[in-house]
Amino acid sequence: MTTANALDTTIAVVTPENISFEYQLAGPFRRLPAYLIDVATRWAVILLIGLMLMLVGLFTSVFSIGSFLVATGLVVYFVISWFYGTFLETYFNGRTVGKWACGLRVICVDGRPIDGTRAVIRNLVRIADIAPYAALTSFIEDASPLFWVPTGMVGFVSIICTKRMQRLGDLAAGTMVVVDEKSWRLPVTKIEDPRVPALASYIPGDYRVTRSMARTLAVYCERRAYLTPARRREIAMHLTTPLIEKFEFRPDVDPDLLLVALYHATFLADVRVESASLGPLAGASPLLRDTKRTPSQGNAPDNATTAPAFDNETSVVATVVSESEEVLPLEAMFNDEIGLPSNGAKEVNER
Amino acid sequence: MNVAMILEKRQQQWVELEQLCDDLELTGKNRKTGAAGISRFATLYRAACADLALSDAYQLPPATVTYLHRLVARAHNRLYRASRIDPTTWADTLLRKAPQQIFADPCVRVASLLFFGLFTLATFLGANDQWFPDFVPQLVGQEQLDQLEEMYDQPVSGSLDHYIAMAGFYIMHNTGIGLKCFSFGILIIPCLFELAFNAVSLGAMFGYMSRESTSGGDNFLHFVTAHGPFELTAIALAGGAGLRFGIGLFHTKGLTRRHSLRESASRAVPIMAASAALFFLAAFTEGFISPSPLPYLFKAAWAILSAALISFYFVVLGFPNDQRQINRHAADAPLDPLAEEWDAINAT
Repeated sequence: MTTANALDTTIAVVTPENISFEYQLAGPFRRLPAYLIDVATRWAVILLIGLMLMLVGLFTSVFSIGSFLVATGLVVYFVISWFYGTFLETYFNGRTVGKWACGLRVICVDGRPIDGTRAVIRNLVRIADIAPYAALTSFIEDASPLFWVPTGMVGFVSIICTKRMQRLGDLAAGTMVVVDEKSWRLPVTKIEDPRVPALASYIPGDYRVTRSMARTLAVYCERRAYLTPARRREIAMHLTTPLIEKFEFRPDVDPDLLLVALYHATFLADVRVESASLGPLAGASPLLRDTKRTPSQGNAPDNATTAPAFDNETSVVATVVSESEEVLPLEAMFNDEIGLPSNGAKEVNER
Repeated sequence: MNVAMILEKRQQQWVELEQLCDDLELTGKNRKTGAAGISRFATLYRAACADLALSDAYQLPPATVTYLHRLVARAHNRLYRASRIDPTTWADTLLRKAPQQIFADPCVRVASLLFFGLFTLATFLGANDQWFPDFVPQLVGQEQLDQLEEMYDQPVSGSLDHYIAMAGFYIMHNTGIGLKCFSFGILIIPCLFELAFNAVSLGAMFGYMSRESTSGGDNFLHFVTAHGPFELTAIALAGGAGLRFGIGLFHTKGLTRRHSLRESASRAVPIMAASAALFFLAAFTEGFISPSPLPYLFKAAWAILSAALISFYFVVLGFPNDQRQINRHAADAPLDPLAEEWDAINAT
């Protein structure tokens, strides 16, 4: 049971555990190096065995051992050059030396492992896949096999024309080559900007992000490290403009920061812990109704509901104000060009 | 429960599963922890599957979901492993499947007719030096003909050294041609070309050597008689296997093209295996018996014996005596849309 996405090179496989997971298919330019490594390995093995047979022939002088060794060498050459891939793929679970080095694996199109018959078929049909030009050796029998230059056009065209990127041998055997790299890092986006939890604490408690919104937030936070601040704002604006109205925030709240705060509230914030460690930023409110009151210190009791520690932290807020000169503390927090460090939310890869 | 907590909780198990995957990488055996490790692996794998299934409900970030996809895929590949090639099934393939398939397969008949027909025709044209004197030189080339004549000027004889090496060479070279014929079957035309080319050139040489005017004709017959039946049948069979393979592309019997190709490939493999076995037999005959100075009578007897063996193999072992086999082939046969009408006409 598989389905292929039209635009992506992943393919979904349903396992006996009744779970559907995705494989990434290997395209022609991932498979070419693997094939070249295989060719080199094959020749290295053949030459090694040939050398060993020659040494044995030199140091023994039993009757007619020489021709026996020649015959052995020829048969070994035949077996290795035709059945190298078959043997390795069945013995090492769909991997040859080249595939192992390039992180590829061959499996059946339905996700099951490859079996002997399929391995035989797909490795025999390789001869047709590396045509044309290999076919010309039928005409020039005495041309040295070293001078073949198979173009591989048949297999190449087949790979780029099939949705599972199969060459003819894969089509005939019902197999596909997928990427199976040794380790995948688990990317976790961590937010280290102290303003984020501060802003997140003002997001109304009854606001629930939808599923698609959650996905959008996650993608945005993973990708924002690669964007310039101006670009981030431009992208985030489309989502935050209605949100700012809904939350009754000041219109100059930084859109990028608001999305990161939403991400924090959705994915990272621990609901049981109250927004305790706001530090110097406690009391700086993005709310529209607080805008008029904040500059006048006399309104402190009114703000107590939204920022309980406001009274105690006034002096700290004042230092923030003094640092950012005549800019209001809220703007210093939420709509600055300089204040948002590019590593505010950096991608941390953890195992 | 938020994502950070879920990740923190589950991550340890994922990392452990990855380590177990590393251990199981090559042979599927866990050297460090043994059976306990494998059962632990299965538990962790199922847990990771459950995590992946619930990833949407947990609203995990897409990058984590991608990671889970890779992890599950990786563990899946460690758990479900390729079955090793089992040599005990080879006898069954060679002695039961292959002859049944060969007997029932029209492609083998077409390939045999093509091969032996062209072979006979080329032999006739080559032997007739009054009507078609230029046929063989044009086809094979005068230089090669001279070489051929020179080669068989002397009566065949050789030492054992020579025999063994030549047997190895014939295994490599001729079986290689057969396998190539098979794999080019998927493109059909190269397969037919290979088959026809071998038929015509072999036939032309046979015809030329059997001319009265050619010297060394007796020696040539002395050499080729013994391994002829094995070798010629093997080439025809390889062509038949290739044809069976390629025909699946357009004679689909209602399957999808892809599926039909796959099925015809797995039906062609036993035929190819039989062909390879015949090539091996031919190579040993060609290496040991053909060049030996044994009397011609012995070689002719060997040829008759081998032909009888091949006939036994195809007809007695291949005859569809198994009831299931007959039913399967009846089901395989394409339905004739006119069959009912014919029955009605015949009844009246």
